[in-house]
Amino acid sequence: MSFWDEFLSKLYPGALTTLQLLAVTIPSSIILGIFIGFLRVYGGKIGKTLANLYVYIFRGFPLLVTLMIMFFGLADIGIRLTPYWAAALAIIVCSSAYQSEYVRMSILSIDEGQSLAARSLGMRRSAEILYIILPQALRIALPGIGNEVIYMILYSSLAYVVGVNEIFSVAISVNSIWFKPTEVFLTTALIYLAMTTTASYGLKKLERKLWIPGFETGVRR
Amino acid sequence: MSDEIVLRVKDLCKRYGDKAVLRGVSFEVERGEVKVIMGPSGTGKTTLLKCIDMLVKPDSGKIWLEDLELTDPRTDVSEARRKIGFVFQEFNLFHHLTAIKNVMIGLTKVKKLPKDEARAIAERSLLKVHIDRELWDRYPAQLSGGQKQRVAIARALAMEPTIMLYDEPTSALDPQLTREVLEVIKELAEDEMTSLIVTHEVNFASEVADEIMIMMDGRIVERGDPRSIIYDPRREETRRFFNKIVKIGDELR
Repeated sequence: MSFWDEFLSKLYPGALTTLQLLAVTIPSSIILGIFIGFLRVYGGKIGKTLANLYVYIFRGFPLLVTLMIMFFGLADIGIRLTPYWAAALAIIVCSSAYQSEYVRMSILSIDEGQSLAARSLGMRRSAEILYIILPQALRIALPGIGNEVIYMILYSSLAYVVGVNEIFSVAISVNSIWFKPTEVFLTTALIYLAMTTTASYGLKKLERKLWIPGFETGVRR
Repeated sequence: MSDEIVLRVKDLCKRYGDKAVLRGVSFEVERGEVKVIMGPSGTGKTTLLKCIDMLVKPDSGKIWLEDLELTDPRTDVSEARRKIGFVFQEFNLFHHLTAIKNVMIGLTKVKKLPKDEARAIAERSLLKVHIDRELWDRYPAQLSGGQKQRVAIARALAMEPTIMLYDEPTSALDPQLTREVLEVIKELAEDEMTSLIVTHEVNFASEVADEIMIMMDGRIVERGDPRSIIYDPRREETRRFFNKIVKIGDELR
């Protein structure tokens, strides 16, 4: 088998694995990030403390180290995760910690008048958060969350250290056989670039769709 | 005007740290009555209105809306707030909703009315404050200050409140826009909308008020019909206050 034949035939399942990893990590970390962000503002004493602790820990650990803990550390205490799920879990906890920060800041940036107006209409806290705060906060947080999506695409490559056969691990193994680093890593880089380009395009579309006059989400300025 | 009392405030006190903002405020508002509160800045007028809507929790004293004691801890405050329309100095329209949706949201999410019914009520409310059809689908950022405040009034009005509270509704507006907002408030008052209004607009107050109350240092120091309060106040400090705002008004003109 020639170099390109082998490389491309292995890249295809590798890319599929990367996409599978992203398909789980991106939505889960966004949902978890929003939840933790709200908990950090509205969670009361216990909720706030727990959420802050979560962020303190998973924003304070390097993702690579968290990955090792999820795979080897948890195995030591009897929780055996497959490489795929260890990697997914590590990426989710790390990214959601970062995302909760964007969400928290966006909630805090909404002026108190919005909340006063909601309450003056007779809305309860849950309705106020759901119908007034959340739609505004998410619009403000969207560029930050988008940034995290891009990071997740790139950092999914770290999953290779626990043995997930994603694109980067394919690149490493093919390169170790053929030793063609320029071809291998440039091709790999282009695949990541294609994914981030698609994601950026999608995010821009979403921003435009959610655009509301007076809300600076970065379009039409 | 009937003698039925809609709002009763008794010995209301509120302090922020060392500063006593409200020091025993008591008054009543009857159905259909328009009561205006005037006084220098920082004397607790806004705090008073926010206490009445329970947006700020009073330290002591009691508030009744009709038969319901709002200050009773057992009272469902959210439920009670539906019956109190609050108009803010800074409008506080929901930025992410169009004008008509700003008016509808209380009806659909609080009163749980079906959408078409809510829309019909919202349309009527908006027309009442002279916001025409072509503005209904605009977002707050696309409206002038006067239009925003009128939408905010419509939003409160749509809930069919027992009383409307206006917290310096025109302080953030230039004179031209002030006029269009005051005109609307006046029309509502003439329709027997029970109202409690904090304002610095002397002419407006004299036209619309059944009674003016002067607030200073967290107390109501003087009250009476507009004519006597504005032109013949008993207290020297009230006289000085009116001289000052009338003079500033003249300078602006």
